[in-house]
Amino acid sequence: MKHLVYLIIGIAITVLFFILSCTDGFNIWEQMFFNQGYNDKMFNLNMYPVIAAITILVAWGGAAIYYYAINSVKFDRWYHWLAVMGVVAVLAPVVCYIYNDTVFANNGLMYIGESIQFEMQTVLFAALLYIVASYSMRWWSSNCRHTPLPQ
Amino acid sequence: MRQISALLMACALMVGLLSCGGHGKLDKAVRAALVSGDTTKVMYDSLCTIVTENPGKYGNLLTSEGKVDHKKMAEFIKDIGSHLRPPMLWDTRAYGGVEDLSLTVYFERSGSMVPYDSRGDGGQLKKAVNDLINHFPAGSKVEINIVNDGIYPYQHTVDEFLKDRDIYQSTAGIGDASYTDFQLIFNKILEAQRPGNVSVLVSDLIYSPQDTHGVSLDKIFNEENSLATRVFAKYKGKSVVVQQFLGDYSGKYYPYNGVPFDYHGKRPFYLVIIADNDVMDQLAQDKRYSGVLDAPAVRYSYRFNQGESEIPCRVLPEWKDNAGRFRVKHGDGIVLAKCDGDRQTGKLCFSIAANLGGLLKDDALLTNPANYDVKSIDGYTLTVQPIEQSMFTANNKEYLEGMTHVLTLVGDLKSPRDEIHITLRNELPDWVRQSSSSNDTNTGGSFASTTLGLEQLLGGMFDAMRGGNNFFDLTIQLQK
Repeated sequence: MKHLVYLIIGIAITVLFFILSCTDGFNIWEQMFFNQGYNDKMFNLNMYPVIAAITILVAWGGAAIYYYAINSVKFDRWYHWLAVMGVVAVLAPVVCYIYNDTVFANNGLMYIGESIQFEMQTVLFAALLYIVASYSMRWWSSNCRHTPLPQ
Repeated sequence: MRQISALLMACALMVGLLSCGGHGKLDKAVRAALVSGDTTKVMYDSLCTIVTENPGKYGNLLTSEGKVDHKKMAEFIKDIGSHLRPPMLWDTRAYGGVEDLSLTVYFERSGSMVPYDSRGDGGQLKKAVNDLINHFPAGSKVEINIVNDGIYPYQHTVDEFLKDRDIYQSTAGIGDASYTDFQLIFNKILEAQRPGNVSVLVSDLIYSPQDTHGVSLDKIFNEENSLATRVFAKYKGKSVVVQQFLGDYSGKYYPYNGVPFDYHGKRPFYLVIIADNDVMDQLAQDKRYSGVLDAPAVRYSYRFNQGESEIPCRVLPEWKDNAGRFRVKHGDGIVLAKCDGDRQTGKLCFSIAANLGGLLKDDALLTNPANYDVKSIDGYTLTVQPIEQSMFTANNKEYLEGMTHVLTLVGDLKSPRDEIHITLRNELPDWVRQSSSSNDTNTGGSFASTTLGLEQLLGGMFDAMRGGNNFFDLTIQLQK
């Protein structure tokens, strides 16, 4: 039951993250980095939900791969888990940057510097969501359920 | 258990995705059209196709006959546009559902008008009228009347009028050309006007009543002023635009004292455009009528009976003059939050793109800061410049699109909260005084560019039709 609560809380946090990525008044992506022109274009071109979805998929996908695909006693140490988090924290912003750049280029816009700064947030959000996803799904892994911290 | 976990995960993502607003196909298409600036008829038609192909989903945008309700469609587009950053407008009136306006031309045929259309001259007067007619859509109903001591219908077709090289010759003998009864003409025009009609008087606007022998000029001016006030005060809800043109003049000129003389040179003439307020607004905004109020040959123009207008405007986040930092709050009104002065100078400088085109004021008036009142705690100053094509970049295009001027405000950011009020005062413009004379008995001085008693005539109209003290009132809130 306790593990199911972890899963539900994890899902709730992720859904909340997605909702706050779509809103106009308070948008989670506009709290740490804000450039009026750049952020307005992100909003108008409906890019926030896609960026959020990519981040969620990479984070939850990374955790799922670690706990259910890798799922090996050879890789059940905390630094193995951390290595996957590193991959997630790099992969998510890279994919988001490519998406950003493609959409902007298709609309004749140029925001390279702003995009790089913006994606620094994705590093953070992807890492946090990876932790959330790990604590949501680790309990049912046959070999890695004690990673990163035994409970 | 793994399967349950995966299922819940998928559910979470679905809930998340659905919570993001449920954008339908039409919403997305409208949003894409607005953001890309593709606000053409082809795009509008494709939106209508989405509606008609999905009557179940978009039934509220259809009439009972199953056709697109263009009014509701316009509201739908307006609603989506208002949620964009910055809010965007798309005037779709031209694409359906709105009937064409009708045009009635009143062509003055007094003695002093005939020399404007001499065969050997430039024919600017006839061209201005022809252009006016041609700027109305092909389906519009057009009527032409000849006016002097009364109003007489033109006996030929519009095409014949357009082709006529000697309009005064072909209308010779109509009415009494020795005087023009403005009181009768304006009264008849205003009385005869029906909804959706635009009436245009083509005239030199020289008040020349019957039997002025021995009457002082002051008396004539006072009479002219009172007449204009009396006539226009009677008809509420009307707007009048007076446009000044300059045309070649070759022939006899009839001054107020009755001793005619020959004159060859330039002379001003006027188009007086009269319509209901909403029709005049439509003329100003509807692209089908572009060219009617902003014809290139217009020297000066002024719109009478104009109340305070709402000015569409957008704060420019990326602009060469910007100094300091601010964040535009989205919602009602202009609010700049988290304002911070420039690190070196402490000044805050920001620019706003505004559409002042609807005011129908010339650039000389709009770009002169002396015509504006700017009030704030920290004493912000204003400069106004017209938007030019060279100012457009890919990144600022959507802020400048559809706007006409950039309003730049500079001030020392001291107060934690400030409110800047900008108003453009409603005053009779300088060109009216500069284009008015009190003596037309000889060709000296500014005879070529002035009209006898223009200030008194238009001043009388101004007194009767003054819509308010300001043309617009803009408030900007600043928060540190």
